[in-house]
Amino acid sequence: MERFDEELLEMAVDEATRSGAKEAIAELVEEDSSQIRFSNSSIDVNKRWDRYYLDLFLSKGRPLSLGRKITTLTIQDPNPKKIKERVPKETRKLEDLPKSKLYWGMDNNSHSSYPKVKDLYDKRIESFSEKAPKLIEKTMQESKEAGAKKVAGVLYFGKRKRGLLTGYGNGGTYKTSHCEATVRSFHESGSSGQNLVVTRDLSDIEESLLNAGRKAGELAKKSAEAKEGKEGTYDLIMSPTVGANIFGSLLSGANPIMWIAGMSCLKGKMGDMVSSEKLSVRDDPLVDGGMNSRPFDAEGTPSKRTSIIQDGEFTGLINNTSSAKLWKLMNWKKLKFWVRPKTTSNSELGQIGMTGTENDPRTLIPKASNYVVEPGNYSFEEMISSSRRPTIYITSNWYTRFTNMREGKFSTVPRDAMFLIKDGEFQRPLRNLRLKGGLIEMAKNVVEIGKELKQVKWWEVETPTFIPHLKIKDCKFTRARQ
Amino acid sequence: MDGKSLSDYAVEYGGKKGAQYSEARFVSSVDENYIARNGKFLSIQEKPTKGIGIRILVDGCMSFGSTDRLERKSVENLIDSLIRSAKQTRRKEPIRLSEEKTVKKSWKGPVKVPFKDVSDEEKQDFIKELDKAVKQGTRKAIKNRIVFLSTRKEDKFIANSDGSRINSNLSFISILTVMNADVNGKREQRLLGLGSTSGWEWLKKKRIKKRIVKEAKKLAKTVRNAKNVKFKKPIDVVVSGDVSGIMAHENVGHPSEADRIMGREGAQAGESFYRDLMEESEIGKIKMGNDNVSIIDDPTMRGSPGYYLYDDECVKAQKRYLVKNGYLNELLLNREYAHKFGTTSNAASRSNSYSREPIVRMSNTFFEPGEHTKEELIEDVDRGILMNSFTEWNIDDRRFHSKYVGLEAYLIKDGKVTNTMIKRPVLELTTKSILQSIDAVSKDYVSRMATCGKSDPMQPVPVSVGGPHLRMRDIEVR
Repeated sequence: MERFDEELLEMAVDEATRSGAKEAIAELVEEDSSQIRFSNSSIDVNKRWDRYYLDLFLSKGRPLSLGRKITTLTIQDPNPKKIKERVPKETRKLEDLPKSKLYWGMDNNSHSSYPKVKDLYDKRIESFSEKAPKLIEKTMQESKEAGAKKVAGVLYFGKRKRGLLTGYGNGGTYKTSHCEATVRSFHESGSSGQNLVVTRDLSDIEESLLNAGRKAGELAKKSAEAKEGKEGTYDLIMSPTVGANIFGSLLSGANPIMWIAGMSCLKGKMGDMVSSEKLSVRDDPLVDGGMNSRPFDAEGTPSKRTSIIQDGEFTGLINNTSSAKLWKLMNWKKLKFWVRPKTTSNSELGQIGMTGTENDPRTLIPKASNYVVEPGNYSFEEMISSSRRPTIYITSNWYTRFTNMREGKFSTVPRDAMFLIKDGEFQRPLRNLRLKGGLIEMAKNVVEIGKELKQVKWWEVETPTFIPHLKIKDCKFTRARQ
Repeated sequence: MDGKSLSDYAVEYGGKKGAQYSEARFVSSVDENYIARNGKFLSIQEKPTKGIGIRILVDGCMSFGSTDRLERKSVENLIDSLIRSAKQTRRKEPIRLSEEKTVKKSWKGPVKVPFKDVSDEEKQDFIKELDKAVKQGTRKAIKNRIVFLSTRKEDKFIANSDGSRINSNLSFISILTVMNADVNGKREQRLLGLGSTSGWEWLKKKRIKKRIVKEAKKLAKTVRNAKNVKFKKPIDVVVSGDVSGIMAHENVGHPSEADRIMGREGAQAGESFYRDLMEESEIGKIKMGNDNVSIIDDPTMRGSPGYYLYDDECVKAQKRYLVKNGYLNELLLNREYAHKFGTTSNAASRSNSYSREPIVRMSNTFFEPGEHTKEELIEDVDRGILMNSFTEWNIDDRRFHSKYVGLEAYLIKDGKVTNTMIKRPVLELTTKSILQSIDAVSKDYVSRMATCGKSDPMQPVPVSVGGPHLRMRDIEVR
């Protein structure tokens, strides 16, 4: 990382404090990332991004006031001159802003140490771009040998250095590497298979990519000559990719911001059974190799695990300091006054705009790190063989949309290989079905949990999720009959 | 070095280093964002961003990269690395670009009142007044109201090695409202996006506040009155511009994207059922729907969310008939896919940031209005429904099997819209059945803004979805 200048953090926080900010967070990020996109068994484009920026969150206001004035400024390609020019100006502008009802303060404790997180950075990333095109060629070849007629996908990799300093002296610096691949293989029109690789560790990357290519190719071939699925109620086996998408939508509701926005079906259900008692899920910023694992959050709070669902019971929300205080205030009748609101170390300078790029403004919000589902006892083969009732196995899905997020009613479109299982055996590949349901109803119907976790993060799953195969009883499938 | 000079330099440097084609796009933008819940502000932000995106074609292989370090040295380093990675790549079929006219033009969006001339207080007041009007207008049925007001001012300069230079200034304003209606335990939710490529004047000129309040009242009416109604037999369905717009976008716009048809989006956004049709017949001869069905994608509509006059490959924008009189007529093309299809680009190449590669995108997509009034469409229906808006929707990744769940919907009986509101009627239909069931199209046109997602990393771009009312015969409604 050639541009990263740690001294800018202190300079930015000092400048903000001198200019009148009560609280400040400076986050300095340098990223060098690359992507190879491929389709029709050929590389379409190589991409590279070179980014270096300083985000500075500023607030003004008294500790006991109802909300405080906040802003975040971003300085691209930062240097001392830009900091001296822009920080005082932005801090002065705070005076004219109304108070944000979302912001109630940050972590003001002093933290002298942070937990060690394993596998954040693999040095091999530094020379990976030279090998990457050849690995993609091999992956495509492997997939074709397994049955694919054409292969598409994306390989996204890079390194990132992050430095953080808050006005309370918390923070630090660390590096991460990442490598994410989607391989989607096609056997014939309408028959396809997909597999993912999500890792920070490059020691077995060639084997992992080849394995993904092979599995995608095998699924594509196995799903050839699929028959139209019949509407009705079936048991369902979800691959980790599908489970991460659907249950990720449920878990995203364990966030006070989503409650406030009317976008959570978990609202008002704290302490209730919201899933089968077999299911336990936590937010885990410390999990080895997690794509959002980190020693501290954006407030410099040491990372810790938070139980969201324990044995089926909704046990906790993710919070930052501010949302924890707000949540307590909104629930003052139910919560004992001596219980202090606590952050769960889920603070992030998150994007809040509409472009999905670096153009979007940011602000301090609670955001999930990695979801980790507690593994069960079943192997995938056992889940298949125990399926005595008509069961559908979905390997991938997309376009999950809600009738009403508050109720959690949705439908989603299975894509890639989908199979009918009867009497414990694969019967035939299916196509053109749509899964519909309610998030909580489906979570309550989880009957079997696989024992092997897979980390999922891709186009349809934003929060990295460690999840096994899941079996859910009594799921509704529909299709376009006309 | 300013952004324009740096772009010119990048193109020149790419050429010197052996690129067959090089293109640099410098973008300087300011995004403003106001977010409020129930009239109280959660966040107010302003964010200036600058950067340069560069595409290089070497030996038939394409590379794209971007940097926020606006110096010659960093641009040189970026181009060197792009050329290196292109040279490491092998393609059986080299990428080629269509021949296009060299253009040197400047264009700008229709702005009367620039955002910088409007005080922060006025922007905040607009949101507060809007919230108050929605609250009062719906007799407190909408208990949770979120408003996102966004403005964006974007200056862009594109230079390519064919000699084209396009300079543009575009402003974009949008309001997204999330309305949660809750009456006696019954709940409905609506996300409504409105937007324009113009200035602050758009809010008054288009009576935006009034329109949002009207939609909020309809939502409140829906949550209070809608009932489950079962239809045992197929019925006639009249859909509004809100619904016909999303159908035009999802069922026809996306499958018309040439990169999707040729498989380039295969890993994420998916492919297109057009591929199968085009293997059996050719464009112009493929029957998609009835003769009265024409579907247009038109980026030249001044002030619309998807407005532009030159695309991100310096090709002059044009109106495109995707379906004309029932026949597949034209695809959405950029220069790469225009060359594959042996033609010239029709200017569908867009990128949503300096850091994203330009790819094939829609702009403003809609059914071409017909000759009837809305009332004429309804008076010829014995038993059916009028679907004015929708909530949940989705479609498979080849864009054939779709689902639209109605939000504000009424029973039509003996040619008249009744007061009976139908709760969440479901249309689960193939693209073919939608287009072939349309027997009449109204002459009215209404549109709203949507954000269309595609590619990886995701590139949401503003588009408009809208159009006339459509009458669809013999539709299964669940």
